[in-house]
Amino acid sequence: MSGENRLPEGFGELERFAGQWAIETSDERKKARIRSTPEERQAFYEAATPLAARGLAYLDTIPLDTWDEPAQELMRILLSLAHISLAVEKQGDEEAHHAINHAHFTITRSTETAATTG
Amino acid sequence: MSDIDVRPPRKTETNGSVEYVPVTKEDVAFVGTGPVPTKPYVDEQWYEDEKEAIFRRVWLHVGRIDEVANPGDFIVREIEAVGVSLLIVRGNDGNLRAFHNVCMHRGTELVCATEGTARSFSCPYHKWTYANTGELRGVPDNGNFFDLDKTKFPLMEVALDVCAGFVFVNLDRHPKQTLREYLGTWADSLEGLNIDVSDVFSEYVYDVDANWKVAYDNFQEIYHGRFVHPRSIGRSTMAPENPFGYPTKYTFREENLHRSKTLWNNPHFTPDGPIEALASELTRAGMAKGPVSGAKRPSTEHYYIFPNITVLSSPLYTFTQTIWPLGPARCRSVIRMYWTGADKNASTRFAREYRMAALLDIHSEDRDIIEAAQKGLSSRALDTVLFQVHEVTCRHFAAAVDRYVTDYRAEVAAKRSGEAL
Repeated sequence: MSGENRLPEGFGELERFAGQWAIETSDERKKARIRSTPEERQAFYEAATPLAARGLAYLDTIPLDTWDEPAQELMRILLSLAHISLAVEKQGDEEAHHAINHAHFTITRSTETAATTG
Repeated sequence: MSDIDVRPPRKTETNGSVEYVPVTKEDVAFVGTGPVPTKPYVDEQWYEDEKEAIFRRVWLHVGRIDEVANPGDFIVREIEAVGVSLLIVRGNDGNLRAFHNVCMHRGTELVCATEGTARSFSCPYHKWTYANTGELRGVPDNGNFFDLDKTKFPLMEVALDVCAGFVFVNLDRHPKQTLREYLGTWADSLEGLNIDVSDVFSEYVYDVDANWKVAYDNFQEIYHGRFVHPRSIGRSTMAPENPFGYPTKYTFREENLHRSKTLWNNPHFTPDGPIEALASELTRAGMAKGPVSGAKRPSTEHYYIFPNITVLSSPLYTFTQTIWPLGPARCRSVIRMYWTGADKNASTRFAREYRMAALLDIHSEDRDIIEAAQKGLSSRALDTVLFQVHEVTCRHFAAAVDRYVTDYRAEVAAKRSGEAL
């Protein structure tokens, strides 16, 4: 790391997760979920969950098309949390089996891309 | 005047939530009670006949009006089962049309792109050029054709109509019914969703090694929910008073092609974790502002538009699943979730991402069980299968498919005997 903050002030605790979970597209987030280990998911979930509401509230104060790189990075991490929370809160021990089916799915469009291209 | 029956018409409102009143055997016995043949799910000739009898004759949902909103906007849709490629384009005159994606010169596929915007389309082979309204505009070295009258060779048009923002086509050169006639009162149901104002959707796709009807049936019945979806759906629709999460109502008549059911949502459901709670709160807030919403009613409506569409509208979201046959035992499922307006802020974006991922989890849980169902059927061990009360939707669907294939076979047989005379 260069020492520069990848994330907005106040969200430094999530810096160590940016490498794995700051992901550009919905389909890549979905894939990262099924590639991850239970320990990686649990650690990320535990660190990010308490910051989720505050993170979204912070980002909501800035017009979406003016986000700087740290803001975009925070959004990407929170969007990954949406996927990972399903593995942790819902699937639990079944996630490994669930991942086998999951690999057959492709997310071909998300509202994120609709917003940037449309 | 309504041409649909409501069985049973019983629903009591208590404190804004719907009390569960079970549908009974007597309510649904009019559709039949006996075993149902497995042949339609495994037989290759049956599949061949379905393609002609159904997919080349009925109205098929191929897209959304917002995909072709402006003059020149086009999408190309493949109907793999029948090997047809369609060019759906809004002309510069503002009208939306569907054409066979085929050049009138020698039948070459005209457009390779899957979507875009164009004033005209040129065939890559000999550069015959068509306006986005279909007229043939340019033929290189025109003089070497034999009395070619360009006005007689516009692109070959396919019947197209729109309901609730859903674009439908009919491959029959002379459709026997208009889209309105075909949909009947379900047109009103779809329009009642206010989904025509949706201009944004999320989409995911998956293939399954199963006959398209085996996959479709999975999404018609709730009986499996308790066993296949205890984690993803769980207590949201299951509770001690309704342990299987059964629907409260089915809506169809025996002779209908389409059907619907009303799902019961557990009024005492609490989220499984803090992120589900956050996402639900943000979704509700977003839905309250957007018109694509079932938020004003506590129930979830699930419509089945023949042959291959499901439309589900819940208090939190509306989505369609369209299941396309790819072969006798293979199909593709396309899921779209509908929203109004581009993401307004981080909270909207997060809520929409969560909803898509959560829905994908439910469909993911279904995938291997659908393949297991097909594998067992394909072994031909069973000649018939059994449907209980809450699989009446599958039974009703099987009857509709059977009518189409039987009528088609009778028509072919009559034509053959006519030729033999």
